[in-house]
Amino acid sequence: MSTPSHAVRLARVREAAPFALPLLVFLLVLYGMLAWTVYTSLSDWQGTAPNYTFAGLKWYRFMVGLDRFWVDLDNNLRWLVLGVVPTTVLALCVAYLLEIGAVRGIEAYLRTLVLYPAAMSFVVTGTIWSWMYQADRGVLNTLLRAAGLERLTSGYTTDPATATYWLILIFVWQYLGLAVLILQASFRSVELQEMVESATLDGASRLRILIAVLIPNIRGGILVVVSLLLISALKVFDIVYVVTFGGPGYATDVLALFQFIATYQQHLVALGSGLAVVIFALAFIIIIPYTIYALQRWFE
Amino acid sequence: MRLRLTPLRALVLVMVAALSVVYILPVYVMMVTSLKTPLEITQRQYLLPSGNLQFGNFATALRLVFPSLVNSSVISLTVTALSVFVGGLGGYFLARFRWPVTKVLFVLLAIALYLPYQAVLIPLVRLMATTRLALTHFGLILSYLILNVPLAAILMATFFFSVPRELEESAEVDGASRLQIFFRIVSVVALPGYASTAILVFIQVWNEFLLALTLVTPYTTTIQVKLNDIKGSYVALYNLQMAAALITVLVPLTFFLFLGKYFIRGILAGALKG
Repeated sequence: MSTPSHAVRLARVREAAPFALPLLVFLLVLYGMLAWTVYTSLSDWQGTAPNYTFAGLKWYRFMVGLDRFWVDLDNNLRWLVLGVVPTTVLALCVAYLLEIGAVRGIEAYLRTLVLYPAAMSFVVTGTIWSWMYQADRGVLNTLLRAAGLERLTSGYTTDPATATYWLILIFVWQYLGLAVLILQASFRSVELQEMVESATLDGASRLRILIAVLIPNIRGGILVVVSLLLISALKVFDIVYVVTFGGPGYATDVLALFQFIATYQQHLVALGSGLAVVIFALAFIIIIPYTIYALQRWFE
Repeated sequence: MRLRLTPLRALVLVMVAALSVVYILPVYVMMVTSLKTPLEITQRQYLLPSGNLQFGNFATALRLVFPSLVNSSVISLTVTALSVFVGGLGGYFLARFRWPVTKVLFVLLAIALYLPYQAVLIPLVRLMATTRLALTHFGLILSYLILNVPLAAILMATFFFSVPRELEESAEVDGASRLQIFFRIVSVVALPGYASTAILVFIQVWNEFLLALTLVTPYTTTIQVKLNDIKGSYVALYNLQMAAALITVLVPLTFFLFLGKYFIRGILAGALKG
């Protein structure tokens, strides 16, 4: 015998099913494949034909014994720090200057100016910047020579010592606009505008307002920007593949590139899966604070 | 009223000037280089437009990329339409059915939203290869659909939140079913939201490289993979590379310039709520 509340609940579920089911199917496939990757990383799959024999941590042990793995981690760390911190700080400065000192037209112009790379692919930006960086006839060196600044010319991405930094610069260039856009939007809450106003009336300097009033009150916006940048820097593949292919040597290699090469060129699929699991685990750590924040905002 | 040059204004002007150089130079160079002769490039004349504009470069580049331009258009448009449809349904569930299980679903979606493609690359490629879907456009279409539905659902949910419930309640009184209400009322009111979501998904799929590269076949080469091929095989022909790059960005850049409002709204919806 079903109680009325039971019947009502059943009707609600039936009502929700056509909306929720398609989404659930896609999510199930996605998480199923994630589990599949984890299992593959514990298998003994090498070569083109799948081999799902359980091998435990064999390929993880192999991974941590590889020099290349540690070079990659090191490079990924550089990406995480230098791709995120300068971009966020710079975006904060640009957004704040626009907020306090810009004429209307200039703001619209600048926003379009820094945001258009967000619509471009890394393959395109990589192609353009390869041409900018080209050591012998490239744009930057030619300009520097023409300006009489011969000693500032550089090998850019062909110099193993600095190559990764020049790649990261492309990333910063491409993501700055997104960061500015999100931070600017988080300045615009009514309460925050009122707080800025009263601080201004109290005679606080503009720099003080930025540090004491704005930054503590846009933690949400900063969290979003930092998470977005961290994830993008962590999974960076396209820029490296297109501009240097990890070279010279392994100088610019990153986990995502090694994952691709281990799987599809060396056919060490278990190793490739292990690298994928490492990338996912790092991404998971990055995403936790963001998810908690988003959950609170949604279900407040 | 005349504008006085305060230190603050001066600082803003310096910033605008510096950013202008940094953000215009690469695109300017791309355009100018794409119209040059190989000789002019060897002679290192970069900044001045060519005296003898080589529109033929674009004809050559277009001949090279045309099939992949068609592939990318077919794939991106199909994925956009389907993921907006599925994401719209799912987003409505997230926005209107606030059950405890919705929270779980939300967390799973938030993780999926930022999932590095590497985490599912190997099974996905295996799946598409064994089912032979990879030999047709369906391989990439299905893959991108799986990867973009979470984004579309979250974005659409944020847009459905702002649709007033009263609109639905009056239709409920008239006896309309939930699906009727969704398609005839909520979706119509949320059309700008659909536009934002569609633009974001389209640009994301159009620009994707890793999966397109891994699943590449001669019949399904996308524009990004083709551009990378051109960069690799016409090493010294920077004019041709730049012409191909310009063709590649033309579609997303056009969206950005003419529908920028929707693009920006989509990014902000995804960033601040999702």
